[in-house]
Amino acid sequence: MTEHAPRPAADLARENEELRHRLQEAEELITAIRTGTIDALAVQAPEGPRIFTLEGADQSYRDLIEQMNEGALLLSQNDTVLYCNACLAGLLKAPLETMMGASFRDFVPADYLGYWQDLLTTGWAGKSKGEMPLLALDGQQRPVAVALNVLLFNQTPVLAIIITDVSEQREINAIRARVSEQNALLERQQETLRTQALAQRAAEQTAAETSRILEGIPHIAWTANPAGRNTYLNHRWFEYTGHDSHSDSAHSFSALIHPDDLPAAVQRWQECIGSGEALEIECRIRSASGDYRWMLGRALPSRNEQGDIIQWIGAYTDIHEHKMAQQRVAETQQQLRASNEQLLRINRDLDNFIYTASHDLKAPINNIEGLLAALLAELPAELMAGPAVEPLVGMMQDSVDRFKRTIEHLTEVTRLQKEHEQPPVLVELAPVVQAVRLDLTPLLEAAGAELEVDVARCGPVRISEKNLRSVVYNLLSNALKYRHPDRPPRVRVRCRASDEYQVLTVEDNGLGLQVAGNAKLFAMFQRFHDHVEGSGIGLYMVKRIMENAGGRVDVESTVGAGSIFSVYFRR
Amino acid sequence: MSLPACILLVDDDQTTNYLNRLLLKRLAIADELLVAQNGLEALEVLRTHRPQSESGAPVLVFLDVKMPVMDGFEFLQAYEQLPAADKAQTVIVMLTTSLHPHDVERMQQLNIGGFLNKPLTKEKVDAVLQRHFPQPVSAD
Repeated sequence: MTEHAPRPAADLARENEELRHRLQEAEELITAIRTGTIDALAVQAPEGPRIFTLEGADQSYRDLIEQMNEGALLLSQNDTVLYCNACLAGLLKAPLETMMGASFRDFVPADYLGYWQDLLTTGWAGKSKGEMPLLALDGQQRPVAVALNVLLFNQTPVLAIIITDVSEQREINAIRARVSEQNALLERQQETLRTQALAQRAAEQTAAETSRILEGIPHIAWTANPAGRNTYLNHRWFEYTGHDSHSDSAHSFSALIHPDDLPAAVQRWQECIGSGEALEIECRIRSASGDYRWMLGRALPSRNEQGDIIQWIGAYTDIHEHKMAQQRVAETQQQLRASNEQLLRINRDLDNFIYTASHDLKAPINNIEGLLAALLAELPAELMAGPAVEPLVGMMQDSVDRFKRTIEHLTEVTRLQKEHEQPPVLVELAPVVQAVRLDLTPLLEAAGAELEVDVARCGPVRISEKNLRSVVYNLLSNALKYRHPDRPPRVRVRCRASDEYQVLTVEDNGLGLQVAGNAKLFAMFQRFHDHVEGSGIGLYMVKRIMENAGGRVDVESTVGAGSIFSVYFRR
Repeated sequence: MSLPACILLVDDDQTTNYLNRLLLKRLAIADELLVAQNGLEALEVLRTHRPQSESGAPVLVFLDVKMPVMDGFEFLQAYEQLPAADKAQTVIVMLTTSLHPHDVERMQQLNIGGFLNKPLTKEKVDAVLQRHFPQPVSAD
């Protein structure tokens, strides 16, 4: 047994193996640090740089730091990068392995160095925070938020810095803003939808109400599209026609309108569709019972804001009774017109007859008169001197004169008819009465008559002057003609006005007459007093004139006391 | 000129013609009195009695309005067509009983010597003579 007992070979081998293992470990560590796969701390020690792995650090924290999306940085007091995670290296576009030991100031833009120094100073004192850009190796500046904290590593203070890329934050913010904007948009759209739903409900209610009204009105209501094709008919139509609502309404329309009315109705409808004019037609439409009833069809175009026709809205109203009444009135009027025309024709014929008759009668009576004179000239003087001839001749001459006068009066009547065709004008009474008075002066004087005229109270009357003169002349001359034999005639001409008429009265104190025969009094060739020379035409003329002028003539009379003739001029 | 040499009476009424002839004869104002019963006959008379003919043309015509065959108005239309020389010394006076306004109006528009209401009298004839043949007339 020796002191230096040789070390067993097995121990040596084991130690050797251990050393080799440690060397391999060291090599792997260095490779790992070189490749940046694991973290290391490069600390400048007085004896030279020493490399520390993050020994003792919990593996899970390291994973966390490595994988987190924030940049992590450890700075020494001289601003040297002790540690930098992959995220930060990525942010700065720098290979991770070049980061360790680099000076972080290289990544601070020149104009932010002062700011950075302030952050560092405050950070080394404890904590600081800020925002600034960092200069990446690709020359781009990246906005970041920085948070600085002092930590102790193996009794050595280091500055731990968390660097957040706020450009992404900004994007997120932007996205958030977009999202909230879209949310707001969605909200608005939903609001719109809600409003639309409300409006639709309201519209539906209105439509229901409209439909209820359309169905309820006592008219046939319908709509048509701008081309004129029927799009709606209310219940009343089907009730009236007896058709069911499934039949082709457009076809049934034309099938139900009376064939006589159809062409005009269709034509008018087409015109209206073309022009946009309101439709108004009258036509007969067959009812369920098979009768045709008159309908008034009216329709108006409904237009949109641009003024285009979007629909026609129409109705048919039953006007049958009205139409029938109208037709009866029209028929009656037609009959009246026909009989009126017939009367006018008869009047014209009568006028012509009177002219012709007066002409044809005049020639022979003139001849008789002439022949009588010729005969008398031929008679021997002794015969003429005889007592019988002169009265005979006188009576013959009287008869001839009467005959001629009658013809004259007949002619006057027809002349009156012609004058009626002249338009009436407004005539003052006083001058006309005065003129007639002058004409009658010889008669007035002969009869010793007293004539009192007071016509100032009436305005002008509506009649032709010639006719007014004729009326006044006839009435005044009658008042003198039919005077009472026992007293001088006293005639009053007066005037009064009512709402409808102006009334001229001629009052006398003459013979008077039986008013019962009033109609006869004003008839042609009626004479009431045999003893007085008269044609019997005067009052007939007065009546005709007044009636032609829209007025009338009246008489009040007491036999033996006098008469009052009143002529009414329509205002 | 002096008294009308020749007077033509145109009327379909024979009695009227007779009386008018009588009147004119008594007045002794014409050498010759011609009678026609309608317008057509009157035209015939005028054709045979022209100014250059032996008897001379009528210087005064009394013309009735209403006549058969050709009435007074129709006669005047046809008369218008005659040569001016034939008409130069002839005066036409219409005689009528018609007071129909239409007829009166027509007559007033005519280019004639005048129109008179029937019957023809001495006074009316004198007035015509004074107007158209102004020379004192001495009736018998």
